[in-house]
Amino acid sequence: MVLPPSRPSLGGNRKGGENILELKRVTLIDKFYYFKMRHILLLSLFLTVLSLSVLSQDIKLPDLKGYKKTTDYPVYLPDNLWDYINGAADIYLAYSFIDLHVAEYKKGKNVIKLEIYRQADHTMAFGIYSTERSPSFHFTNLGSQGYIADGAINFFKGNYYVKIRTYSKNENTLKSEESLAFKVADMLAGASEMPSALSLFPEAGKKINEETYINESVLGHKFLNKAYKASYESGNDIFSIFIIENNTPEEAQKSLEAYLTATGTESVDSGTGRYMLKDGYNGTIFLSWKGNRIVIISGLSKDQSDIADRYTTEILR
Amino acid sequence: MKNINRRGFLRTGIAGAAGIVALRPSFVSGAASNQQKDIISRTLGKTGMQIPVISFGVMRADNPNLCKAAYEKGIKLFDTANGYQNGNNETMLGNLLKDYPRDSFYLATKIKPAGVDREGKPSDLTTAEDFLSKFNTSLSRLKMDYVDILYVHDIRNPELLDYKPIINTAKNLKKEGKTKAIGFSTHANEPVVIDAAANTDSWDVILTAYNFKQTYITELNNAIKKASKAGIGIIAMKTMAGGGFLDKEKTKPINSTAALKWALSNPDVTTTIPGMTDFDQLDLNIKILADISITDQEKKDLLIASAEKGLYCTGCATCLNVCPMNLPVPDLMRAYMYAYGYSNPAMAHSLLGELGTKDNPCKECSSCKVECTKHFDIREKIADISRLVNVPEDFLV
Repeated sequence: MVLPPSRPSLGGNRKGGENILELKRVTLIDKFYYFKMRHILLLSLFLTVLSLSVLSQDIKLPDLKGYKKTTDYPVYLPDNLWDYINGAADIYLAYSFIDLHVAEYKKGKNVIKLEIYRQADHTMAFGIYSTERSPSFHFTNLGSQGYIADGAINFFKGNYYVKIRTYSKNENTLKSEESLAFKVADMLAGASEMPSALSLFPEAGKKINEETYINESVLGHKFLNKAYKASYESGNDIFSIFIIENNTPEEAQKSLEAYLTATGTESVDSGTGRYMLKDGYNGTIFLSWKGNRIVIISGLSKDQSDIADRYTTEILR
Repeated sequence: MKNINRRGFLRTGIAGAAGIVALRPSFVSGAASNQQKDIISRTLGKTGMQIPVISFGVMRADNPNLCKAAYEKGIKLFDTANGYQNGNNETMLGNLLKDYPRDSFYLATKIKPAGVDREGKPSDLTTAEDFLSKFNTSLSRLKMDYVDILYVHDIRNPELLDYKPIINTAKNLKKEGKTKAIGFSTHANEPVVIDAAANTDSWDVILTAYNFKQTYITELNNAIKKASKAGIGIIAMKTMAGGGFLDKEKTKPINSTAALKWALSNPDVTTTIPGMTDFDQLDLNIKILADISITDQEKKDLLIASAEKGLYCTGCATCLNVCPMNLPVPDLMRAYMYAYGYSNPAMAHSLLGELGTKDNPCKECSSCKVECTKHFDIREKIADISRLVNVPEDFLV
């Protein structure tokens, strides 16, 4: 490999005890130079190596007519998000937070603050958005979905979660805030739809705008991850449905086995199945699966298997 | 196996069908029968509250059954905030705790005053009305007449400690019985703020970041000691040093039990509020309720973890305006993190372009004047990441 003379640190001063992360880093940079020299032939290989990369977009915080924009906040990263939102940072990190860009818009005493949180992907952006959403808010057509609540306008689009806030009650400021929200929504790239998995939930009895995405520890269990959740109310019955879309049936089987084993149930190696379990922490659980999809219903009693069966059948058909 | 429904849920687990037969007893039997014995409690300063050494930082929990299990196993203090999950966290806790005797648990929430700038100074927007309105919203979500501890959320500047619109509102709420104690949380400039608070008689409780990796631990311990002597109860948070892992790839977990025990080894710390999202974490922490002694292995784990300096810049900005070439060092470190932390060289390339970075901008200097608080070799990292500017953008998207 031909390397430019200005490479001060690659290989030459690498110590034997250097950790694996450093080795990975060097490998990555080395590849850039390799491709610089022979980029045509090796383009496909390069893309494979960088398969974890996502298309990036620079965030250029927009101007707002009549307002002075200040952007003297640092760009917050996982290591210092705590400095900005304190303990709330943990949950953003749990949804694969990448960075946060902040701007303030001032006109006299009126201030509008814009925060753009970049998460790893559209699902994660929905995930963090949905944890902060309440069905009582006034929903609006912004990005994939947004709402206005007491001086705040929040929405998500693509892998971005956007929060805009003013404490001003001035009508013109509130209008400017809204105008800024639409400007930012237009500016940001990415999907403007809700996650497609949400359409799997049966409509009957579903509580509107209460769907969430749980990235880890579904129902408090480490072995159950990445579930969409919807809440239901039917007569006096209130229950929740979780849908986990695994990448493969084998992955689904692994989670299922962990759950079945933990509840003292015989593990079954099968592509499909339905169980009623007694989960000591979460009560009666209806667990079913087909291929890579797992459905969990909690909140129903053991004599309500007919309800569980009806919903499960619709989701797994 | 039990036949529940011919066409539907045909089988049940052993526990469901025949009672308690399980590989993991706590999992099957749940919380109620598993109350920890000999729980170690400490007195929270002048409040007199007796609080078990492990409490629950609820901020990330979305499953009320997890909080219920914690309560049943002996945890008594639940810590939330007006802003967590945009209020949904308080609502979840309120729906759960309304079914328990009010004197059987403690509830703490935090209100962040509006308009506080980055230096922690109040502004015209930092009003009593806003603070009170948020507090009343919290009470309503929590379905309670009072909270046990009301914190002013995030004080990092002593100026805010004595800011009348906020402190007087908090004191009035205490007089009215809407909170039993008033305190503040602090995660930056903690020694200075805690020391200043100890000079007043305003505060009952301080919730502070406190962990084995803090570089200013001597100053912090001194301030805690002083506050404790003044009767202020001390609660520790961020005991995991800001995360459960030492690396971005999550291959090096911090020994969370050791980290909690380390915090509790300071007798001035009444309790800790680890965040918990799963029952395994809960079970681990519950064990500490009755045993806070640090084992040799735990000491070893903490030593190893202390030696890790981490991979990425924390944006402390102490390096700004130090570089003779006026390089934007924190931004360049951010580009470094995009490339190596996120495996996203396209984003790093884009940022370098935005900053106008040239290949090896450090080449004119024989040595580096920038002294990084994390002891990074800044020159090496800049030389490393800046080479990305030579890679055509087309290759990165």
